[in-house]
Amino acid sequence: MIEINNLVKRYGDKKAVNGISFTVNDDEVLGFLGPNGAGKSTTMNIITGYLSSTSGTVKVNGHDILEEPELAKKEIGYLPETPPLYMDMTVKEYLDFICDLKGVAKAKRKHMLERIITLVKISDVTDRLIGNLSKGYKQRVGIAQAMVGDPSILILDEPTVGLDPNQIIEIRRLIKSLAKSHSIIISSHILSEIQEVADRVVIINNGYIAAVDSLSDLSKRLSGQTKLLMTFGGPAKDCSAKIRTLPGIASAVPKVINSKVSQIEITLVGESSTEIRSSIFFFMAQQGWPILELRSMDPSLEDIFINITAGKRKV
Amino acid sequence: MLAIFKREFLSYFRSPVGYVAIAIFSFLSGFIFYSQFSTGAVNIGSEVISLRSFFVIIVPIITMGLLADDKKRGTDILYYTTPVSLFSVVVGKVLAAFALFVVMFINVIIHIIVTVGCGGVFGVGAVGTIIVFFFMAFMFISMGLFASAITDNQIVSAIVAFIIILITQLLTIIAGYAGTAASSIASMLGAKTASAYQIGSAVKKAIAWFDPFVKTQDFRLGVFSVSSLVFLVSIGVLFMYLTFRVLEKKRWSQS
Repeated sequence: MIEINNLVKRYGDKKAVNGISFTVNDDEVLGFLGPNGAGKSTTMNIITGYLSSTSGTVKVNGHDILEEPELAKKEIGYLPETPPLYMDMTVKEYLDFICDLKGVAKAKRKHMLERIITLVKISDVTDRLIGNLSKGYKQRVGIAQAMVGDPSILILDEPTVGLDPNQIIEIRRLIKSLAKSHSIIISSHILSEIQEVADRVVIINNGYIAAVDSLSDLSKRLSGQTKLLMTFGGPAKDCSAKIRTLPGIASAVPKVINSKVSQIEITLVGESSTEIRSSIFFFMAQQGWPILELRSMDPSLEDIFINITAGKRKV
Repeated sequence: MLAIFKREFLSYFRSPVGYVAIAIFSFLSGFIFYSQFSTGAVNIGSEVISLRSFFVIIVPIITMGLLADDKKRGTDILYYTTPVSLFSVVVGKVLAAFALFVVMFINVIIHIIVTVGCGGVFGVGAVGTIIVFFFMAFMFISMGLFASAITDNQIVSAIVAFIIILITQLLTIIAGYAGTAASSIASMLGAKTASAYQIGSAVKKAIAWFDPFVKTQDFRLGVFSVSSLVFLVSIGVLFMYLTFRVLEKKRWSQS
């Protein structure tokens, strides 16, 4: 369990983190979401003891990170944004070194390393130099490094950045399997990634917490408004004015106006249902404007922030 | 600490650095020994003393990557986020560099064996110079480590270490210039010639007091002074402490 209380980190005049408080419960996956530069990495660096906070406290399983750093750090496994790997060591040498750093007893070591290596699936590269591994393998070695010493909490800073889709799916699967016995904080700027693995989400923007919510509440809030993007052949302005009159459509904004192809962003009142989409189809057919494409737009992180801050919802 | 020591020491041999340092040292010691041997006047003491003047090249090579490389790779995060203490990191790194010096010194041990085997002299004075050699190596390594802590660029680190060690090696000469400068400034400010001279020599003495080479010059005669060794160790520990503070500062840094 991690309790974060009123965390502030000041860099000169700028506050990178500004009064953040939240709690991570046992065996919970907490998604830490925010655009680049929101203060995600800074917060994680403070929780793990890499940076100190200007004010505020972090308690890891009851141990304050500043007052009892060694006890607190024993509970945490950390995968920073760039995995701390020595390119001149083999995977096995490296993990041995990490065992030394974390003070893992020699007797436990062999069994523990075997288990971790099987779990993160790096058994076929243990004798290779880390510098020669692919990015996906490096990331997995980074996760293995975080798991050494059996910490009860794992903090993963953008663990899927730079991986190919297959690797991303595998890492997500791995995180899910770890979630059974660990508290995990996972950061990302990609909403769908967090949706996949997290139980609860903390959204952070400009150093402030924008929202703390369970995932189902968050998606409920997001599904209040769905957007469709329609590409068609016809006049955009005419169409947007007319299509607004259809039931279930809140607004229609012309996006691309071209002599041949137009694009309209349609905001629906409720969820995107089959009826609305078919009524759009029949309407367009009636007008003689052929629909070239109609797709739903996933809400971007920006939309969420606008949504959340516009609603002035208190955390 | 042992973990850091082991990793750093072995990493010297995973890259060219360790081999380059050993090659330079072997060449220099071999060349000095050969030139002594060919004239039939072998003196291990003066060989070791000559080798000391090459600290200025060898130490920066050994120490430049110790911390700078960690920062560049991002592996320094391990020192902060694992239960290992920062001070043991510093000690482990110094020991690793020191161990490389011990390995390099095998050259001299071979020369001693050859000398004694051929009926040459290996006296108490030579033992004294060897003791000083290792204490000085420790001191200069600490200085080099400090230079490595203040940057994430190995080249910058090497240059800073080079300058620090060079200043230390030229301290008596620098003291002379500083003394002259001080006395001329004093006379310019209106001091009498005698007192200006006194001020100059006081400044010269004060700076020259720090010269580790002068402090330990009697060791070659077999006169061992514990206070000089304490001096070398103190400077070394001071720089280790400064390195520790630099590492710690990173955590508190606000910029």
